[in-house]
Amino acid sequence: MDLILTGSPPIHWALAGAGIGLITLTLLFVGNRRLGVSTGFENICALVVHTPYFTRKSVTGSHSWRLPLLAGLLFGGVLSAILAGGWETTWGLGRFDAQIGWNNGGKVLWMFGGGLLIGFGTRLAGGCTSGHGIFGMSNLELPSIVSTVSFMVAGIVTTNLIYRVIL
Amino acid sequence: MALYLGLGTIFGLILSRSGAADYNYIQGMFLLNEFQLYGIIGTAVALTAPGLWLLKRHGKTLSGRPLSIELKPGHRGNIVGGALFGVGWSITGMCPGPILVNIGEGKLYAIAALAGVLLGAGAFGSLYPRLQGPFRLPALQIGTGEG
Repeated sequence: MDLILTGSPPIHWALAGAGIGLITLTLLFVGNRRLGVSTGFENICALVVHTPYFTRKSVTGSHSWRLPLLAGLLFGGVLSAILAGGWETTWGLGRFDAQIGWNNGGKVLWMFGGGLLIGFGTRLAGGCTSGHGIFGMSNLELPSIVSTVSFMVAGIVTTNLIYRVIL
Repeated sequence: MALYLGLGTIFGLILSRSGAADYNYIQGMFLLNEFQLYGIIGTAVALTAPGLWLLKRHGKTLSGRPLSIELKPGHRGNIVGGALFGVGWSITGMCPGPILVNIGEGKLYAIAALAGVLLGAGAFGSLYPRLQGPFRLPALQIGTGEG
């Protein structure tokens, strides 16, 4: 299957997995940091929200590394698009367009609703695919194994409901 | 700062070109049709786990500082929050890292996902004192776990 962005197949999973593993280990060995993306959303929130939760030291003290990491993720996407033959905006959503076919306004609402669940859910769970799924599981931490099983099962149920039951 | 920007950029490039930031591959993963994402996460864990074990045995960072790994606390939020996140991941086809990658790639709908994520995280933080009891969350200074 081709990627939506490039129209060509992805890199091999073993190469991608090895790269992510090396990034995780480098982040720890060089930076003494535990990989995790979703906490970075709290850092962004803390720039504008000043309630006690967002002014605690673990949030404000990690701006200096979490914000650059998040900026890098964004920049990596830009670079990937440029290398694929040129950066351009798109509303293309693959299978969603083919089988659900909502217009752009509908997609905005769909994505906003999903985003709310991701923002609230990852912070309630204390991590996401990177912090729980990769770092926590690699470190054999029980809360991470529980969280990972929970979000994988919920994702499998939801996608199957959407594409196999409803559609 | 350059280290984190650099690692983030490589991470973003890999997520972009591996299918991890692609709506179709995420649905394929959840439909159990595509091995790609399981291969990626499995390989990452299979490499990180022994690497972590070695680093912890070594006990020091590159510059010789003591290695510190803050463990995430266990609480009811792991299951409930995990489930909410899983539904959101399925709906959007993006987990937190790939939301940023997709915006970078020029996928405009991902901006709406990020707006939702920030509002959701902001609401969570602001409601923390009220969620603490029912979900048995740690003290506010500790939080649910960083990552």
